[in-house]
Amino acid sequence: MLEISDLYQSFGERIAVDKLSLTVGKGELVGLVGRNGAGKTTTMRAVMGIFQPLGGSIKWSGRPVALPDRLRFGYMPEERGLYPQMRVLDQIAYFARLHGVELAAARKQAQKWLETLGLEGRGQDRVVALSHGNQQRVQLAVALVYQPELLVLDEPFAGLDPSAVDSLSDVLRAEVARGTAVLFSSHQLDLVERLCQRVVILEQGRVLASGTLDELRARLPQRLRVKVTTSVDWTSGLKGTEVIGSDSEGVLLAIAPGTDTQALLRVAMAAGSVEHFGFESGGLLELYRQLVTS
Amino acid sequence: MTGITTLVAVVLIVGPALFRPPTRPTVVGLVGPAAQALAPALRNTGKAAGVDLTTASVSDDSAARSELTPSRTSGRGQLGQLLSSLQGGQATLDVALTVDSSSATIEFYQTVSPTLAALVRAVVQEAHQRDVLIQGGVPTSVVGAAQQPEPISTVTLLATQSDMAGRSIAALAAGILLFVSVGIFGSAVASGVAQEKTSRTAEVLLAAVTPSQLMTGKVIGIGLVGIGQMAVTVGAALIANAVVKSSAVPPEVWTLLPAILLWFALGYLLYAFGFAAAGAMVARQEEVQSVSAPFTVFLIGGYLLMYASIASPDASWVRIASYVPPLMPLLIPARLALGHLAIWEMPLAVLIMLASIYGMARLAGRIYSTSLVRGGPRLSWMAALRLR
Repeated sequence: MLEISDLYQSFGERIAVDKLSLTVGKGELVGLVGRNGAGKTTTMRAVMGIFQPLGGSIKWSGRPVALPDRLRFGYMPEERGLYPQMRVLDQIAYFARLHGVELAAARKQAQKWLETLGLEGRGQDRVVALSHGNQQRVQLAVALVYQPELLVLDEPFAGLDPSAVDSLSDVLRAEVARGTAVLFSSHQLDLVERLCQRVVILEQGRVLASGTLDELRARLPQRLRVKVTTSVDWTSGLKGTEVIGSDSEGVLLAIAPGTDTQALLRVAMAAGSVEHFGFESGGLLELYRQLVTS
Repeated sequence: MTGITTLVAVVLIVGPALFRPPTRPTVVGLVGPAAQALAPALRNTGKAAGVDLTTASVSDDSAARSELTPSRTSGRGQLGQLLSSLQGGQATLDVALTVDSSSATIEFYQTVSPTLAALVRAVVQEAHQRDVLIQGGVPTSVVGAAQQPEPISTVTLLATQSDMAGRSIAALAAGILLFVSVGIFGSAVASGVAQEKTSRTAEVLLAAVTPSQLMTGKVIGIGLVGIGQMAVTVGAALIANAVVKSSAVPPEVWTLLPAILLWFALGYLLYAFGFAAAGAMVARQEEVQSVSAPFTVFLIGGYLLMYASIASPDASWVRIASYVPPLMPLLIPARLALGHLAIWEMPLAVLIMLASIYGMARLAGRIYSTSLVRGGPRLSWMAALRLR
């Protein structure tokens, strides 16, 4: 398990990460979301030992992370970290060897990952000759080739076409099923929602919220969508509710805990013909917006 | 790249040799019995003067003129004739001597060789003097004794080494080689580090190795490649020179070779760590040259001082400057080549360099580890040193 406790890092006057704590267990896929500058990349770079944080601790399996542990971590930086003029197969094998894999096994694993990620036949091409999406696949292969125990991926889906997104998603699911702990960041909240068991939302270097989607939803008021055919404004004067949206599908009400929803239904029926009355759970995007703005 | 530089070096050595006429003894054509009688004296005088000279009998003036004129088809086969044609052809005789009862004529084809003309003139004059004295009744033995050369020695006020020319060439060759190789491979370190930074490859690498391991590995790796390339290129050039005998390699070069290798290693290490730090400070690859400028200036300065030191290797400023670490790799080998380095100075110089390399590695390592993964605009050297 990866345990980050009270991580603190500043660059000059700017505080990048402020007492951040999170965990990623084996076989768990955790999504890290937040605005630009929220501290996602800084957190990941601290985990990978790219710099020594000014405060806090980072542990793996209960021990402070050291170089031998990081040899078992796979990393995909936000901007590609590949030698542009090096051939694809050679580069993947090189990084495998850097992480302690023997030469023959490194080349064999490199070839295997080329085929798994749809890059068969591209092994002798130089990285610079590949498209952006294919370069990302190579970068992922570099992170996976030595069968890491922890995967740290910074914006792995950025710039990928839908089929590449599906392909990468399948790979991550397979790694999680293998027992790999996966921490990845993304601005594509629908993907995070689809893939992750837990989500950590960062804002200004701090954890704004953390947990499963259901846990996060529980932090926010319930939402009720009601569609009534009427010409009167039946929502004015309602207690314990707030109109947060209105469109052709009806009005969306935020319900404070303890509000009598049956009484609400009676009010709606008295106003006109009720076509729809049901609870709506917000997606991660909606949750994120509400959390950040609140 | 190694192949190209090696090919260029070999072509530069072999090329001129192909177009240079083959060396042979100077041939003096002797026209007529009077001139032919001077053959032994000419050969002896040539030997005494260090001129490789031989004589040939020629029947008459017309034959002499013909043999003085260069022929453009003197090579064997088509290639030989082509080369001969390109070389400008070759004559059978270099000079022709005709002697009659009242005068002598020394004839060249186009250009008078002062040395050869003076040699031939001296022999003719000596023969004429002997004839006059014998005809005047002076006994032959007296004439012979008078013409025996007086022992004359040539000395200089200041003692100089007879091999200074070779030593100067060796010093210059060593300086050029060290300047070029340290500059090229040191710059390669800076460019490589900058590329890893700007392409973010450094971030992936630092997940597996420490910054000091990454920096040291790059410095040593490029250094070994540099030594290998130098060995191939210089070796090929020396072999090519030995085969075509393009120019004589001063023997001092061979004795200096171990020192050249040692000071390449020391100089390269000192500069390469500095170049590595410079490469880590850039924000874009295009900034490498300007950030590396301090080291380049020291290299160029060292080269110019080395060049100047050849004229006065014992000067005080040379001795002092040769203990400034960035200048040592160029000045110490030059002083050694010129024979102005005391025995105790070499180990002292090596110790100073080792200490300097250690200090530079520590300083560079600090800048490298903090700057390599730092984004934003390029830092100044002072700002980079202050980074935590």
